[in-house]
Amino acid sequence: MNLELGGPGPGCSAMRVRRLLAGELAGAEAERTLLHVQGCARCGQVQRELLLEQEALRRDVPFPAFAAGVAEKLAVRPRRSLLSRWAPMAAAAGVVLAASVLALRPSDTETVRSKGAATAQLFVQDRAGTRELSAGEPVVAGARLRIALHPGRRTQAAAVLIEPGETSVLYSGAALNGPLPQAFEWTGQGAASLLVVLADEPIDAARIHGVKDAPRGADVWQVQLHR
Amino acid sequence: MNVKGLRVLEGGRAGESSGPPSPAGLLAELYEKHAAAVYGRCRYLLKDDAEARDALQDVFVKLLQALPELRQASSPTAYLLRAATHHCLNLIRARQGQWREQLRILGAARRQETEPPERRELVRMLLLAAPEEAQEVAVMYFVDELTQAEIAQELSRSLPTVRKRLKEFLAAARAALREAMPDVLLPEPEGEAL
Repeated sequence: MNLELGGPGPGCSAMRVRRLLAGELAGAEAERTLLHVQGCARCGQVQRELLLEQEALRRDVPFPAFAAGVAEKLAVRPRRSLLSRWAPMAAAAGVVLAASVLALRPSDTETVRSKGAATAQLFVQDRAGTRELSAGEPVVAGARLRIALHPGRRTQAAAVLIEPGETSVLYSGAALNGPLPQAFEWTGQGAASLLVVLADEPIDAARIHGVKDAPRGADVWQVQLHR
Repeated sequence: MNVKGLRVLEGGRAGESSGPPSPAGLLAELYEKHAAAVYGRCRYLLKDDAEARDALQDVFVKLLQALPELRQASSPTAYLLRAATHHCLNLIRARQGQWREQLRILGAARRQETEPPERRELVRMLLLAAPEEAQEVAVMYFVDELTQAEIAQELSRSLPTVRKRLKEFLAAARAALREAMPDVLLPEPEGEAL
C-alpha cells in the first residue's frame, strides 16, 4: 500500500495557519489564507489542533510555573553550583521573582570579580535592553541598575553607592543568592562607586564609606559608575 | 529611599510605562504568543510531557538570550518552531536506537489493524533513520508543511539542497520501512516534485 507522509498541499500549510492565527500575515495574504482555511477541511483540522495545543499548554504549563522554570534556568550558571539555593527561591517567588531574574540574566562576563567563590554582578536596563554593565561603560540617564549576588558561603551582604560627599545604602541584610529585591537609578553626575560587601556577620552598612570600612575578612567588590 | 544622586525603584520595575517592556511583560507576551506552539512541538518530538515542559523552558531561555534574532525574524512563529525542533532533535538523537523499536512495535500493531499508521507519528519515528541534516528539513516539510522554497528561504539554503535533503530523508525512511512494514510504500510527495 502507498502511504502519504504529507507535506504542503495546494494552498494548504500548517505553518500558514499558525502564522494567520498568530497575526503574522497581513493584507491580501491574510485574507486569502483566511478564506482558504474557512473552506478547507484539512486546514480546519490544523486549526482545531492548534486550539488543543493551547489547552495542553494551559493545563500542563500555566504561566507562573513556566516563568518560575525559565527564571530558574536563567539563574543557573554553568561555572557555579547555584541551583540548590536558587530553586526554592524561584519556586516561592513565582512570577515576580521570574521578572527580577529576567531583568538580570547573568552573562559570562562579570562586572566585578571575586577572589573566592563569591561574586557580584551589576546589570543595567536601558533602551538598548538588559545586560551586564561592561567595564568602562557609561550609565545613561534613566537606566535601571540592579545588583545580583552570588555569595557562596557568605551569609550577610551590604551594598552602598559612594559619591563625593554622600554615601547611600542600597542594601543591607541576608546575602541573597541572586538579584537584590530593589533596582535603583543613579541620578548623579560624573562618577560614583558601587561597593558590595559580603561577610559572615551582620554588616553595619551605614558605616561603610569605602573599601577600608569593610569588616575584617569580608569579601569586597567595587565597580565604578560614570556618565 | 530618597537621597541625593540615587533613586530606588520599588521592586525594580518602576517606570514601566516608558522605555522597553518590563521583563515580566515580555515573558508573558512571548508565552501567550508562542509557548503553545513550542510546547506542542516538544511534545510531538519528545513524546514525554515532563521532558517537553523542560524543553519548552530551555527553548525560551535560549530565546531570551537571542531576542534580537527573534525580532529580526520574518516569522517569529517559524523561528521559534525551528528553534524547538532543533533543540528536541538534539535531545532525541541521544536515543539513537529507540526509533527502530518504536517502528517495529508500530509495524506489529498495524498487522492487526486495517488503519494505516498516523502519518505524522510515522514521520517522527523515521526522523532518526535519516542523516542529521535531513531531519530538520523533513520536519519543516512534512509537519510544518512549508514548501521547498519556503524551507530554502528559512534555512538560507538553495532549493536543490533542500530537495537533496528531502530525498535523503525519503531514502532513509523507505529503507527503514522495508524492515518494519514491507508492504508500505512511500511515494514521492504529491505537492512538489523532488
